[in-house]
Amino acid sequence: MNYDILVVGSGIGGMESSLKLGDMGYKVLLVEKEPSVGGKMILLSKVFPTLDCASCISTPKMAATQHHPNVDVMIYSEVEKIKRDGEGRFKVRVRKKPTFVKHSLCTGCRQCEMTCNVAVPDQYNFDLVARRAAHIAFPQAVPKKAVIERQGSSPCLFICPTGVKAHGYVALARTGKYDEAFKLVLEDTPLVGSLGRACFALCEGECTRGSLEGPVSIRRIKRFIADRYYQGHSEPEYKAPEEPNGKKVAIVGSGPAGLTAAFHLARKGYTVKIFEAAARPGGMLRLGIPSYRIPKDVVDRDIKNVTALGVEIETGVRVENLEDLKSQGFEAVFIAAGCQGPAKMGVPGEDLAGVLYGVDFLRRVNLGEAVPLGQRVAVIGGGNVAMDTARSALRLGAREVHVYCLEKEGELFASPEEVEAALHEGVKINHAKGVRSIIGDIPPQEVCPNTSEGTKGSVTGLVTIAVKSLFDENKRFNPTYIDGTEEEAAIDNIIISIGQRAELNFIGGLKQITGPGGRLAVNPDTLATPVPGVFAGGDVVTGPSLIVKAGGQGRRAAFFIDRYLRGEALEGAGFDYRLPVADKEQVIARQQSYKTSVPVEKKEILKEKPADFTEVELPLAEEEAQYSAGRCLDCGVCSQCQQCVATCPANAIDMGMKEETVETEVSSVIVSTGFKLFPADAKPQYGYKKFRNVITGMEMDRLLAPTRPYNTVLRPGDGKVPESIAFILCTGSRDQTVNNPLCSRVCCMYSLKHNQLIMGALPLADVTVYYIDIRAFSKGYEEFYQQTKGMGTNFVKGKVAKVEEKENGNLILHYEDIDNGGKLIQAEHDMVVLSVGLLPNREYMNLFAGEELEADDFFFVKETDEDLNPGKTSIDGVFVAGTASGARDIPDSILHAGAAAAQAAAHVERTRMLK
Amino acid sequence: MSDRRIGVYICHCGGNISDYVDVERVREAVQGEPCVVVAKTAMFTCSDATQQEMVQDIKEQNLDGLVVASCSPKLHLFTFRNVARRAGLNPYQYTQVNVREQCSWTHTDDKEGATIKAIRLIRAGIARTCLTEPLEPIIIDTVPQVLVVGGGIAGLRAAIGLADIGIAVFLVEKSPAVGGWINRLGKMYPHGKNGGQLIAKLVDEVKKRQNITLFTNAELVEKSGNIGNFNVKIRVSGQGNKKDNITANVGSIIIATGFETYQPKEGEFGYGIDGVINLPEFKELLDRCDGIPTRNGKEIKDIVYIYCVGSRQQPDLENPNLYCSRYCCNAAVHSSILAVEKDPKSHQYHLFKDMRTYGKYESLYGQSRETGSTYLRFGEDAPPAVEKCSDGKIKVSVKDLLTFGEEVEIKADVVVLVTGMVPRKNDELVDVLKLPVGRDRFFNEIHPKLRPVETVVDGVFICAACQGPKNSSESVASALSAVTQSASILKKGYVELEPLMASVNPELCHWCDVCVKTCPYSAIEKGEDQGKEVARINKTGCKGCGGCVPICPRDAIDLKGYTDAQIKSMIDGFLKETF
Repeated sequence: MNYDILVVGSGIGGMESSLKLGDMGYKVLLVEKEPSVGGKMILLSKVFPTLDCASCISTPKMAATQHHPNVDVMIYSEVEKIKRDGEGRFKVRVRKKPTFVKHSLCTGCRQCEMTCNVAVPDQYNFDLVARRAAHIAFPQAVPKKAVIERQGSSPCLFICPTGVKAHGYVALARTGKYDEAFKLVLEDTPLVGSLGRACFALCEGECTRGSLEGPVSIRRIKRFIADRYYQGHSEPEYKAPEEPNGKKVAIVGSGPAGLTAAFHLARKGYTVKIFEAAARPGGMLRLGIPSYRIPKDVVDRDIKNVTALGVEIETGVRVENLEDLKSQGFEAVFIAAGCQGPAKMGVPGEDLAGVLYGVDFLRRVNLGEAVPLGQRVAVIGGGNVAMDTARSALRLGAREVHVYCLEKEGELFASPEEVEAALHEGVKINHAKGVRSIIGDIPPQEVCPNTSEGTKGSVTGLVTIAVKSLFDENKRFNPTYIDGTEEEAAIDNIIISIGQRAELNFIGGLKQITGPGGRLAVNPDTLATPVPGVFAGGDVVTGPSLIVKAGGQGRRAAFFIDRYLRGEALEGAGFDYRLPVADKEQVIARQQSYKTSVPVEKKEILKEKPADFTEVELPLAEEEAQYSAGRCLDCGVCSQCQQCVATCPANAIDMGMKEETVETEVSSVIVSTGFKLFPADAKPQYGYKKFRNVITGMEMDRLLAPTRPYNTVLRPGDGKVPESIAFILCTGSRDQTVNNPLCSRVCCMYSLKHNQLIMGALPLADVTVYYIDIRAFSKGYEEFYQQTKGMGTNFVKGKVAKVEEKENGNLILHYEDIDNGGKLIQAEHDMVVLSVGLLPNREYMNLFAGEELEADDFFFVKETDEDLNPGKTSIDGVFVAGTASGARDIPDSILHAGAAAAQAAAHVERTRMLK
Repeated sequence: MSDRRIGVYICHCGGNISDYVDVERVREAVQGEPCVVVAKTAMFTCSDATQQEMVQDIKEQNLDGLVVASCSPKLHLFTFRNVARRAGLNPYQYTQVNVREQCSWTHTDDKEGATIKAIRLIRAGIARTCLTEPLEPIIIDTVPQVLVVGGGIAGLRAAIGLADIGIAVFLVEKSPAVGGWINRLGKMYPHGKNGGQLIAKLVDEVKKRQNITLFTNAELVEKSGNIGNFNVKIRVSGQGNKKDNITANVGSIIIATGFETYQPKEGEFGYGIDGVINLPEFKELLDRCDGIPTRNGKEIKDIVYIYCVGSRQQPDLENPNLYCSRYCCNAAVHSSILAVEKDPKSHQYHLFKDMRTYGKYESLYGQSRETGSTYLRFGEDAPPAVEKCSDGKIKVSVKDLLTFGEEVEIKADVVVLVTGMVPRKNDELVDVLKLPVGRDRFFNEIHPKLRPVETVVDGVFICAACQGPKNSSESVASALSAVTQSASILKKGYVELEPLMASVNPELCHWCDVCVKTCPYSAIEKGEDQGKEVARINKTGCKGCGGCVPICPRDAIDLKGYTDAQIKSMIDGFLKETF
């Protein structure tokens, strides 16, 4: 649809122009970037000189604008470009920002706001109080519809391969909603307890607080909520879907990938069966990670989250041939067999008795088999599996455990905490050492046959050699050694933990699904193999990786298997859309009251030579969990905790809402983009933001407004009702030092208005106004000034040089008392209001393409013929209304908007004549 | 018992009402009133959300009457009538009860009393609503023509603005030529445009537009009819004493009659002394001189400006002008810049109270200081003294507050009294149009923000300096705003008039003509009903003032919307003594 006139900005000027043009019969498109029309005026208390409520004047205009048959309002939208087309009209592109709430459904009930767990400074109360991420701008908002503020994805949840809403559950834990937090994690993964213990926590690496005092302890918070939930719920609260959809899916492997896929598929109604070769389910969660990191009952409980949905796990069966599964009625297969085979070193003596492999060793230990070890154990490798192996070996009674790794100190693949814990328990780590050969009681052969069958003797020692370099010039892993540095060590057992590989003996005739590295080849987006219906993910595709990555693959596979089975296209399906990651610098910059807060230290029972597999990491106490969660900086603002989604009675929340672009054509444009307030901290001598009882005029307006945040006038610093309030006029106006030589026209008057309202609200308070000139120049203003004087305001001619704060929060003003001999005087007040001025809002500068909307010397929109055509700009057909072209009070803005409307209408008529 | 279904909504108005009236108690007290089926409170009844709620309630509960207890109907009568209309309820079955201006704000010291008064007021409103009948507004087709009174810069620009959006204009100027004050000015602030040239340009534009008819030497002498369709009589003076009367139909009237400059009294700041002149005289003097300004052949070297002459006067004067004249600080500062341009060696001394070079005009103030103007500030209680000296110079003495009370004496060649604007004497026009005049004696708008160019006379708009001091470009902006206001009514093609008017019961009327004499709008005339002489009300003339109702000896006249029965029931409702 095309329009006659585009109005940019719905403050009082924009509304006035739109309404009058609409009344004249012109079609108007009004674009507003905020979620409500009304601009700044609706935020004021009362308006001078009549002392009408700003609301009373604004709300009827706001409602009339919204309901006018000739005015279409686009809120939460920004004009991106306006470009003249050949026929004298303008092409307009408007970007409609996602509100994440379907406004056609939203009833304005505010339940989302009540349930929202993120508080951010309320810009509609000029940061005096907080509002929620899900919010309705203010009580009189038009339209009264909620929006959810999302400043991108929080880095923690953006990075998570499983897509766990870390920010969300942290926010819920912060508010004590632990069950909700647990259920939020459960939305994406059934492995809540395991991840709470052994997740590599990429989220913490990304945490914005990481660059300050240290990241939020996201993983341990998850453990806290999982433990707490499991304590109260030994079984999941849900059951298998009553009416499964009748389709069967087979999953090979019950590790993180398989379990996660099964969980998501079962929730969608599929009948899922997992085939597990080992005797117990859980894959690496159970078989790879020792109990002192994840106790087995936690793994069991996590698995219950899956089996409660009706997922069957058959253990001790090895799928011999995938093709058989089809004949058993499975319409899709997900292969998540992991990497169970050990990587070998290929050094002499590897086939000696007493040489073990990490994965095998851990599997046997974790299944409770007896694994006899000698006194001295060497573990080869520098990854987490090597650490698990070494620490398990200690627990099995080895007197000495030596880790030999190729990497230098501090460069190990294992996580630093694991390394530290291992050292603490008595593991010796030998850095930058390669293994030349393994020595047995029978001399080693030159070439090690690639078989472990047959006894070639037993291990007695190990020859190591110092590493010269690990990578060649092509940055490929290609270790070289320093000849002559060979050392021999006496060793009873060697456990090789240098990696794992996939074992693909189940693929049968489906050779086409294999790929490089002896793993399976899939489309990385959809995890589909070349064979229809066969999907694969987890370590068997990626190689050894993280639990959370495997889980992510399981979740992804479930999504695409579902689409496949519903006959939908896989490509371009848009799985797991996440907003771009939030900008950390902006996150830090927007913190209003930042307090240093250090992370809760990690607590582990680490003793030398531990004798059992008791869990080493201690859980967070509730207070610690809340404290930790409270450190979150709410990077993306909305935490994606999903509470609003669950609460909204109208089902109006749509977290997947995307930005839209609307294009239209207009004949004329009215720019009514308003002004910006002078940032009072640009006058540091007045102490704004430093002294809490120094506030701005706009903040005083909020304190006095009918929708006032504290329901009375009080000092923000300590809540004291002020007895003596000072106003410093011309803050940021008529001031070359801040580059604004202009008078802002409204500050004298709004301060006088405050004076009168304060005298009504706090009849005992003294009010002093420090001024240069009182500019009460318009109709009824001088009379208002005299009235204010008569009511008892003390007017002091003198510019305040600086403000100092006393210990009790009172403020000392230094000023020159001009009318009384020019003495330098100090005065004490308990609250100071800085009457800040109006600055240009330069956003209009990017509105037009191809033509320049010229600015005046002060960067307001230039009126090119103010004498005869006030509001006319440098672009033919474009007019400016209200404060966009210079500071104005409300009556003048309204008249100016009327003038712009008359000229825009005339322009539309001229354009019509040309046609 | 009536079977009406009424919804009552009581507004907190933020805290404006609820801080002083126990709104919840009021709701409880009125929810059991006869016919009340919905009784609710709301933070802001005027908010869009509550409006929607009312619409929903009216529809779902089949309400046939609506009462909102909030602020003055001056603010929101139309807002809530529109709510009723949107919900399909006749807007005249709505009653606004004023519990703010007439209750909470007036009884801030007595919460109990205010609460009881609010209950009484609302009961009266409910009682009135019970007896409402659906009424239809009187629709009048509008005439797409406008009468603009005053041919200064504002009137000229308004005429062009209207013509450009397809509305024909009759432009009436009292004097022989258009252009007003601006036509006499040379360089004007802030853009240095020449006033005469601006007017010439506008006159040129007026000439190009066929739908503008200009009358000079002309005055509006009669007006009848209503918004949308006025009948006006314009008297045009021709050669000699020849006078022509021209009549026209117009949809609205825009008044742009401008201002007069303040004329100082003899002796006021030395006025009367040769060389003490007012601001327009000084401006004319500057505009006239090409080189160094001279007066009576003498070069003007030392110039003193005394500000706020005729403005911001002390309240103890007779008929004081309490207001600030807005334009004069800027104009005087600008004049001093011009004076320095013409003679860089001249001295400028400004004696002021508050320097009100507001907004961007602050740059002029800065510029004047940079070019050597000296500023001295005098207090309310110590105005400067002006005396004639024997050497022909004028001595001005002042106590300068900026130098902490130093007594300063300046010998000046010219003393410029920076005179402000005063309302133009326009008694006839005021009489013809019944124009409202404010306390400052300028014409008064209904509301500076809601209806800034409208007057209480529907269809008669005011703009520019007749409404209060304004400079040239501000006057033009307000003139264009009046154009917009006119067009927003006339482009629609029709207006709706209030049906709240007197009606005569012909059975009771015996035509005694008492009512005719009492009607201030001449809206009653003799008519006939079934052969009988009766009073007849002119629908478009009656304003619903109700003056004729009590005067009728036979109670034959009633006022729609405020019938005797309604008024009586309101009194009964008000006097009910249960709370």
